[in-house]
Amino acid sequence: MSGDLLQKIRETDFFKELSNEALAAVASRASLRKFAPDEALMRKGDAALSFYVILNGHLKIVTTDAKGDEIIINKVGPGETIGELALVDERPRSAGVVALEPVEALELTKEAFFELLDQRLDVSLGILRGFSSRLRFSTTYIEKVIDWSQKTAEGDYSFLEYTQPLLNRAGTDDDKAAQLLSTFYSMVRKVKAREEGLKQQLERLTFEIDQERRKREFEEITGTEFYAKLKEQAQTIRRKRTPDP
Amino acid sequence: MSEGKIVSIHSFRGGTGKSNVTANLAAQVAMTGKRVGVVDTDIQSPGIHVLFGLDDAKMGKTMNDFLHGKATIREIGFSIGENTGGGEGRSKLAGKNLFLFPSSIRGREISQILREGIDFNLLNEGMQTTISEFDLDYLFIDTHPGLNEETLLSIATSDVLIIILRPDNQDLQGTSVTVDVARSLDVPNLFLLVNKALPKYDFAEIKTTIEAQFQAPVTSVLPLSFDLAENASIDLFSLRYPDHEWSKALRNVVDFVLNAK
Ligand SMILES: Nc1ncnc2c1ncn2[C@@H]1O[C@H](COP(=O)(O)OP(=O)(O)O)[C@@H](O)[C@H]1O
Ligand SMILES: [Mg+2]
Repeated sequence: MSGDLLQKIRETDFFKELSNEALAAVASRASLRKFAPDEALMRKGDAALSFYVILNGHLKIVTTDAKGDEIIINKVGPGETIGELALVDERPRSAGVVALEPVEALELTKEAFFELLDQRLDVSLGILRGFSSRLRFSTTYIEKVIDWSQKTAEGDYSFLEYTQPLLNRAGTDDDKAAQLLSTFYSMVRKVKAREEGLKQQLERLTFEIDQERRKREFEEITGTEFYAKLKEQAQTIRRKRTPDP
Repeated sequence: MSEGKIVSIHSFRGGTGKSNVTANLAAQVAMTGKRVGVVDTDIQSPGIHVLFGLDDAKMGKTMNDFLHGKATIREIGFSIGENTGGGEGRSKLAGKNLFLFPSSIRGREISQILREGIDFNLLNEGMQTTISEFDLDYLFIDTHPGLNEETLLSIATSDVLIIILRPDNQDLQGTSVTVDVARSLDVPNLFLLVNKALPKYDFAEIKTTIEAQFQAPVTSVLPLSFDLAENASIDLFSLRYPDHEWSKALRNVVDFVLNAK
């Protein structure tokens, strides 16, 4: 394995915690695979037999909608890993992955992966750290999405402005939760723009007040004993405060 | 009896900008040399203390303590003029007579008062005492949105009521009821203030339309401003950025307050 290749593996989020020596151990058990444009790395429903570290080129992650048409869920590129979760939870592939251009990827089979976990405590720890740092990252983003959802529900869009710089950072990340955050952000932008367009229309049409409702709510508030007493007191209170002429 | 006036700031919904407007307006009036107080009666969701640079650590006795008979008004008043607490805008208030009467931000104390209810006579007495003890010209009240009992009380006792609304139908509907209630309680000076208007609208048109609806003066139309949102309530915007459109529009309101009879 060339140093160049090791460097590429190190640049992945997943392996970034590994020492040089542990990286070499990973690389020695991995094989270099090449995919032509439109070639599938995996199909939805396949058994999860290996995972991949992308070295060069981009791929699309696809699923099918109810009519059987292809939907592109996402695009992935160099430095990103594909299919590592399936190795651990042993579930079939949840989506297909297809090369968009000539792609070079490092394949680590399930056996090689478990062998590594078994024999090398340092590699296992590094990989665990990789998993947990992604989880931690995700949690932060998910908390943000929750916070924004609440704000959006209240019609408070102010976060759109002050979070722009933060988002640009997130956009360069391969993390799914970061993508959720980013997608959510642009969704709210669009919702807000639509709402503003609508508001503007309403404005031109003049405001509408439901007079019946106005009257009903007024009577509900003023019909109580509390209110009657308050009205009486209000006059005395104000009179008391105003100096005698 | 003092001649101080009670100025209540109200809105139908939360998030309308009540706390920001109240704090900035009170500060602007204090800048003219008047003696000014600000009471946070939004006991359920206090917020105005942040604009004045107060946090849990700096906050001493609160209105909650007063309502529980554990503090006098004198002990609660926090002099902003003597403690501007950093903030480029706020520091301009140094030496001015501006006093904050905050509500507790401790969860336990908030739930306690909500559970036990508020003694209205005591609250009312507290406001009168605030004016006389601190010899105030104006006491601004940041109220809780909607029309609950303590809000009705502050409307009933106020000499000036400023209702803030956003230029949309939901706010107009809610505001219409508040306007009717304020008239029924004989509030001597009833003013409207529009906040968060999108800059692309014709502000003059908004003003005339709303005035026609309610037969009450719209003191100003304040733009929706990302600069203000970005300031995130940590400083007094109109003092920090006096030349900003929002600040200029806010200063229009000052004369309405000063000239109110
Ligand atoms: N004109 C405005 N433009 C943009 N944001 C505003 C404007 N007025 C208020 N805000 C923002 O709206 C939020 C609610 O304001 P606040 O004064 O706390 O309202 P309230 O006391 O009515 O709940 C704050 O984040 C504040 O920064
Ligand atoms: Mg508030």
